[in-house]
Amino acid sequence: MSTSSSKAGATPPNEPETSSAWGEFWIGVRGELPLQLGVVPFGLVFGMLGVASGLSELQTILMSSILFGGASQIVFVQLWATAAPPMFVGGSVSMINLRHVLYSASVAPYLRSLPRGWRILLAYLLTDEAYAVSIKRFMDIPNSAFKHYHLLGTGMTLWVCWQIATIVGVYASATIPPALSLEFAIPLTFIAMVAPAIKTRADLMACCVSGCIAVAGQGLPWNSWIIVAAIGGIAAGWITLRLNTKVAAS
Amino acid sequence: MIWAVVIGTGLLTFAMRFVMFSGLAPKKLPPAFEQALGFVPIAVLTAIIVPAVLIGDNGGVSIVNNAHLIAGILASAVALITRSVLVTIISGLGALWFLVYLGF
Repeated sequence: MSTSSSKAGATPPNEPETSSAWGEFWIGVRGELPLQLGVVPFGLVFGMLGVASGLSELQTILMSSILFGGASQIVFVQLWATAAPPMFVGGSVSMINLRHVLYSASVAPYLRSLPRGWRILLAYLLTDEAYAVSIKRFMDIPNSAFKHYHLLGTGMTLWVCWQIATIVGVYASATIPPALSLEFAIPLTFIAMVAPAIKTRADLMACCVSGCIAVAGQGLPWNSWIIVAAIGGIAAGWITLRLNTKVAAS
Repeated sequence: MIWAVVIGTGLLTFAMRFVMFSGLAPKKLPPAFEQALGFVPIAVLTAIIVPAVLIGDNGGVSIVNNAHLIAGILASAVALITRSVLVTIISGLGALWFLVYLGF
């Protein structure tokens, strides 16, 4: 999430403007590394959960490079494990990833003039954590000719760590005793992202409504409470925001 | 079948990451859409968190003697104070292990 641990990964504002492409790349790598403290355990647990949910080792590992989005991969395996209709799984996972349109819009002014190959590569690497670090750099050095190398650096760092963590998780899962309840690391990771992100009344409404629906909807088929709760939370947050804006304007 | 869904969803996800600098999309998103998307992370993640801490092994809401709930509340406080993913995971798992050890 852009709101998660972006603080730890912020490039110091006094970082000198580099004049070389690979210098910019390494600034990206260095900025992204601190976030891996949270990403690696998440990837490990995803690898374990994927196998435990009935996916093959190869399916779990390749999902990390084909989807390349932590929360959406977790939802994928949670829904798939219930034998939900494939269209429902695909639709739900895509809806969760819809927020990437926001990141895409946010970095577009800095990247729009790049050749298509670069734009495709950087779009593939555009995740919550890479976005959070690179957008700050883009705002600091909007006119640098090499700024896209920064996103390449943050994106590739995250990609490599995510793939390694998934693979280790898949193959270590057999040796980790279930009594350790390591799958609890996933809600804990999400708590670490959500708790600091709740800043306004609308955020709080989104959180409360989503949580209530998720619990009330436990009887729904195919774990679809995940997606019903998410839509309810988004609607609640958006309506609260709209009402507040109206009150402030009048 | 699963491959078709993974690859299809992967392509859709890529399209969402690419759309705004593809040259095909308008330069600005509709403001209402942008506002709504801003709530996606909180709403989605909360929907996963709350049942994971509140729902017991029997499938019902569990509040009394629920080690996951206590560990989750503690982890939320740690997350607010430290803002560190790693410290939150360690303290939450540590609390869970300790509570289970105590007999919860």
